[in-house]
Amino acid sequence: MTLRRTLLTLLILLVSVSTLVACSGTSANFKVGMVTDSGTIDDKSFNQGTWEGVVQAATELKIDKNYLKPAGTTEADYLASIGNLYDAGFKFIVCPGYKFSSAIYKAQTQYKDAKFVLIDAQPTDADGNAVVATNTVAIFFAEHQSGFLAGVASAVELKTGEFGFIGGMEIPAVQRYNWGFQQGVAYANANLGTTITIKAENVIYQGTFSDVAGGQQLAATMFDKGVTAIFCAAGGVGVGAINEAKTRATQGKTAWIIGVDVDQFADGIYDTTNNKSIVLTSALKGIKTAAYDMIIDQKDGKFPGGQTLTFDASNDGVGIPATNPNLSAATTTAVAGVLAKLKAGTITVASTQGDLIK
Amino acid sequence: MTPKVDPAGRTRRWTIPKKYVNSLFAVLLGLIAGAFFMLAIGRNPFVGYFYLFKGGVMNLKYIGQTLATSTPLILTGLSVAFAFRTGLFNIGAAGQMLMGGLTAIGLALTFEHMLPRGILLAVIVLGSIVAGGLWALIAGVLKARFNVNEVVATIMLNWIAFWTVKYGVYAFFRDPQQETQSKAIDAVASLKAPWLTSLFPGSYINLGLFLSLIALVIIALVLDKTTLGYELKAVGFNRSAAEYAGIKVNRGVILSMTIAGMLAGLAGATYWTGYSSNMQIDTSSLPSQGLDGIAVALLGTNSPVGVLFAAVFFGMLQSGKGFMTAVTGIPPEIADTIIATVIYFAAAAVLIERVLDAWRKRRASKALAATKKGGEE
Repeated sequence: MTLRRTLLTLLILLVSVSTLVACSGTSANFKVGMVTDSGTIDDKSFNQGTWEGVVQAATELKIDKNYLKPAGTTEADYLASIGNLYDAGFKFIVCPGYKFSSAIYKAQTQYKDAKFVLIDAQPTDADGNAVVATNTVAIFFAEHQSGFLAGVASAVELKTGEFGFIGGMEIPAVQRYNWGFQQGVAYANANLGTTITIKAENVIYQGTFSDVAGGQQLAATMFDKGVTAIFCAAGGVGVGAINEAKTRATQGKTAWIIGVDVDQFADGIYDTTNNKSIVLTSALKGIKTAAYDMIIDQKDGKFPGGQTLTFDASNDGVGIPATNPNLSAATTTAVAGVLAKLKAGTITVASTQGDLIK
Repeated sequence: MTPKVDPAGRTRRWTIPKKYVNSLFAVLLGLIAGAFFMLAIGRNPFVGYFYLFKGGVMNLKYIGQTLATSTPLILTGLSVAFAFRTGLFNIGAAGQMLMGGLTAIGLALTFEHMLPRGILLAVIVLGSIVAGGLWALIAGVLKARFNVNEVVATIMLNWIAFWTVKYGVYAFFRDPQQETQSKAIDAVASLKAPWLTSLFPGSYINLGLFLSLIALVIIALVLDKTTLGYELKAVGFNRSAAEYAGIKVNRGVILSMTIAGMLAGLAGATYWTGYSSNMQIDTSSLPSQGLDGIAVALLGTNSPVGVLFAAVFFGMLQSGKGFMTAVTGIPPEIADTIIATVIYFAAAAVLIERVLDAWRKRRASKALAATKKGGEE
């Protein structure tokens, strides 16, 4: 009997408090939501970069922000998360990741009064045709240029030795990083007097963006084989590789990681007192800027709906960090020179495999 | 207070509510614990719960979504519960579900343009059931023939299934655009039915729900109304006694594992050719429905009806937590913590009951001994 009474009391409390609180809200004209793809919000790269852009814009504009992590990776799970945000009043939704392409295709017609930002992909229908509705913006990055610059920077800095590459899933954005990186190393070998080798066996796609232990294992194998620097475009897998490099660095061994998407220098710090990091440099793509820009555009009423935007070196959408404690002044100058040529169009980086490894 | 169970598995009338009371109590304790978690991070638990449950049932879309999330849970829960009732611990529901799913997706993609919808769906569903059953059969045979512990065998088989699916999807059914998933199946091969979707617009509810309910009824009938069920339960109660009574124990073990696998295999079809329309291979974990099935079985006290309620409850939490997070910013991990706590208390309830039972038995036998002693003197 007491149990029933307690339950009843709880229920009454629940209903009364809820109705009171349900009426509160903010005066902002729109709320920004984000749905993460298969990684977590603190993946140190893709999701985190997007979220930082959202946070920055939302803080400046004093508007509500929130993110959801879908229960699974099916289109149904993605659409459920988008629907949850929409029903909670978040009608500006940022989705990072090519895996959202079919979910956004459905969402953009289902929620016509909502705005969608799709990063790394275009909405696609069941037959694979891209359809960017007027309430959606699709954003691409020139990852190959970013990988190219990171490749040049790393090669010039280390001059000689063996490089490796660990990718997450074998998807276009990650492949472009890989191919660009190889071209960058080749460019430095041909024009800047370096002798860096990349063996085919050291170019590996782990297969997920989340297997931290797997990344650590792959990195350990490569370092054992004599690789001195690994470019990781692999989300959580890269976190594992960074951990492995940190362990080795603390033991006094040489182990460099080239970070991806965001400046990962801070993640690679193994000696806090001397601020020493195993992250040589990072191949950036301006995810944060892209997310931020879109939200500001929306506020200004200039949301570029229906368009597909490409961020590349020419609009500073990709590159390496402005400050690289691990790069010498000479390296920085050399990279700046290459970047200028890239912007001017005297150097072109292929976004396709050609005769590159994998 | 030991529930008196007669050989047919029927419990005395007054004990039936009691076992559900245990589960309800576990749910309540779990919710209270969840409230404390919310308080600890400075949130109002009443608001949190309001939106958690609102997100499960606020309109037809969300109700449909709750039922869609519950569908595979009903089946994996039933799979684990059935095995439990016959004395086996099926940790392999995830792997059986994966094999069922791979078969379903494979059959769907292969025959979707050849067969009429009715036959096609029957082929897909039966294929998944057979695949799940065969996968579990391996563990059953290992247990029956070589006395390999089914817990170990099914855990290992989970990962074999996991990598088989990764290889199988990648090698044979890969989506040319996105190589981390299979091609999407055509609407004709999907368990989603237009009339059902229009009842719950915007949700991913599918015919799998009805299949799971049919399976539920069949399992309930098999357990309570057939000789087979009687024999299997007898094996579960006491293997040696069952053997002594002339029941073919090994056959029972194999059969029971296979039936459990068939149920989990069907869960795979409802999930990947119903809820989803392709199979993703970009994950490094097993489908969560496998382990959640154990929780569902536990909370549902291993009875088909209990499994139904437990699965819908978990489905509601699963589908409501996104909305809770969207509105209140309470992290979805809180909902997962509540689920975990509920499971913990459900398990603890059984434990507490067992401890109490043991204590009562000991007291009863002591009292008996005392009376005997008294009688002798």
